[in-house]
Amino acid sequence: MIVDDHDGFRSFARGMLEAAGFTVAEAGTGVEATEAARAVRPGLVLLDIGLPDFDGFEVARRLAAAAAGGPAPVVVLTSTREARDYGGQIAASPAAGFLPKDQLSGAALRAFLTRDR
Amino acid sequence: MNRWLRAALIAGAITAVGLFVWTSWPPNSQYALVEISFAIVGLSFMVAGIVAWQRWPASRLGLLFTIVGYLYLVPYILVNLANPVAWTIGNVTEGVSGAALVHLGLAWPTGRLRSRFECGVVVADYVQNIAFNTAATMFWNPAFSGCNASCPANVLLIGDGSRSAWNTLNTIEGLVGLVITGVVLTLIVRHWRSARGWSRRAMIPLLWIGAAVGAEEILTGNLFHFSATVTYVLLPLVLLAGPALFVISTVQARTAAGALGTAIVDLEPGASPGRLRDALARALGDSTLQLAFRQPGGSGHLDTSGQAVDADRPDNGRTVVPIAGSDEAVLVYDEGLELEPQLIKLTAAAAGMALEHARLQAEVQAQLEQVRASRARIVEAGDAERRRLERDLHDGAQQRLVTLSLALGMARDRAAGADPELEALITSAGKEAREALTELRELARGIHPAVLTETGLTGAVQALVERSPVAVTITAVPDERFPAAVEATAYFVVSEALANVAKHAMAGGARVTIRRQPGRLVVEVSDDGAGGARAEGGSGLRGLADRVASVGGVLRVDSPPGGGTRLEADLPCP
Repeated sequence: MIVDDHDGFRSFARGMLEAAGFTVAEAGTGVEATEAARAVRPGLVLLDIGLPDFDGFEVARRLAAAAAGGPAPVVVLTSTREARDYGGQIAASPAAGFLPKDQLSGAALRAFLTRDR
Repeated sequence: MNRWLRAALIAGAITAVGLFVWTSWPPNSQYALVEISFAIVGLSFMVAGIVAWQRWPASRLGLLFTIVGYLYLVPYILVNLANPVAWTIGNVTEGVSGAALVHLGLAWPTGRLRSRFECGVVVADYVQNIAFNTAATMFWNPAFSGCNASCPANVLLIGDGSRSAWNTLNTIEGLVGLVITGVVLTLIVRHWRSARGWSRRAMIPLLWIGAAVGAEEILTGNLFHFSATVTYVLLPLVLLAGPALFVISTVQARTAAGALGTAIVDLEPGASPGRLRDALARALGDSTLQLAFRQPGGSGHLDTSGQAVDADRPDNGRTVVPIAGSDEAVLVYDEGLELEPQLIKLTAAAAGMALEHARLQAEVQAQLEQVRASRARIVEAGDAERRRLERDLHDGAQQRLVTLSLALGMARDRAAGADPELEALITSAGKEAREALTELRELARGIHPAVLTETGLTGAVQALVERSPVAVTITAVPDERFPAAVEATAYFVVSEALANVAKHAMAGGARVTIRRQPGRLVVEVSDDGAGGARAEGGSGLRGLADRVASVGGVLRVDSPPGGGTRLEADLPCP
């Protein structure tokens, strides 16, 4: 599932990931993301940190909390900024890791999935 | 006081003493001392009268002193004139000066009698003095003093007179005088007890002098018998206490004037009106002094202790004077001070100066506050603008460049193998796009560090340290968030200091410490480099000091040549 408020990036990433063999769902805000996650139960969430309602760290916490007991999705945080712009927040969040937007590719995401297993 | 009046009073005093000496000439060895004693007392009252008239032209005190002086000397001159009528008048009026002295004591310190009752006491004393002396004179045959034909005749004498009747009348007069003296002393004590402020201060010498003169009146009366020297030479000298009263009050006023000057000089700059009042009250010795200000809206005055004051109709015994150079402020003081108009003028002028000084100081302070606040607002507005720019770059150009870079990546994958030339072209375009993205990111970070907005000082300082080419240790950074202006300033201090360490210090290592203290945030960056940095010099320290000052903080630079550099910013932080 791709969570990003930027339509252009979302549709572009969808094209790229579908071409790489992923089945893709989309959400534009933190609220939409938590609702959609309940419905589609994604295996992996590509989560933008800068969302209009609440930030990616909060969404990651909610996703982790919502999945309590069941299988939790692998959350990959992303941003046009660099990881170090967020200090220790990335490490402190339940997300599996951080991927800068400009390095997005199907292979990079799969690496998180295999690493997490 | 009028020139002519003064000349007349001086001439009168000289004439009276001259006549006194002339009429008692040649000095009789038996009475010489008595006459000198009388002349001294009479003259001292006359001189006190002239000076008091001059000093307190509006009061009757000068007149009263003068009257006492004349009433003291004239009867003796008359008795010595060897004329029957003069001799008789002299005998009748001898001792009226005592009543005038009572008048003076009761009218002290304003010159006015306080009530009808006291007017009655004074009139009664004058009347009983003259009445008893008249009655006694009727029974006094000059032959009783053994002078037979050489004495002037007594025009009031009834028959051959009666020594026993004369004695009886004198004894009764002594008793009546005793009662009146008691009443007068009681009244003076009551005046002292009810007096406040300056009046009370002025009453204190009168208490002692009243007691001394009262004792003199009793002792010279006909109830006690002392030797002639004591009765006629020494006891009258007690009356010198009367003029002494004038001298003491003059000294009091001079002392107060001096103390006023000292009080104003000693007053700390910007002292509150309350402190000013206390200083003036202490200097004047008038604890009731009030400094009152017109209420905004014009409804009456309030003094420095918050008590309402009616400046148009002050309380009984109080007087109001406006303070020079101020429309709002008045001084309210004990009316006893009215005798000292110079002192009042001095007090009002001193108060006016001190208030004006305090007002100017407050004005400068307020302007300074305004400038400080506007500087802080300008810096904050600048910060906000930079934050907005950074966010716009992040949401706009950066986002599009990311998408572009990803698209180029995909295009390259599609072209791979099919068209090597196209693949190479797209690869180089993708590299350009990524470099543009990196440059834009650095630019955005320079405009405003996103990490500061996102994580506060902890993450932002960590990021600075990671980027620094010098090994930096973070000793302490508080985890909490602070007002944006404080965080930004602290961040810029660390950022600028680390940049300087890298550029100038030739240091092996540096240390960053940010400590939270009550009401403050202290940022400290130190290195073990070459030192010699100066806040006044270039190297961005001047700008940093300005930035620190914009939030009301202080930047300290300690950088001895060869001893490393220690930069400490002390920022106020609620």
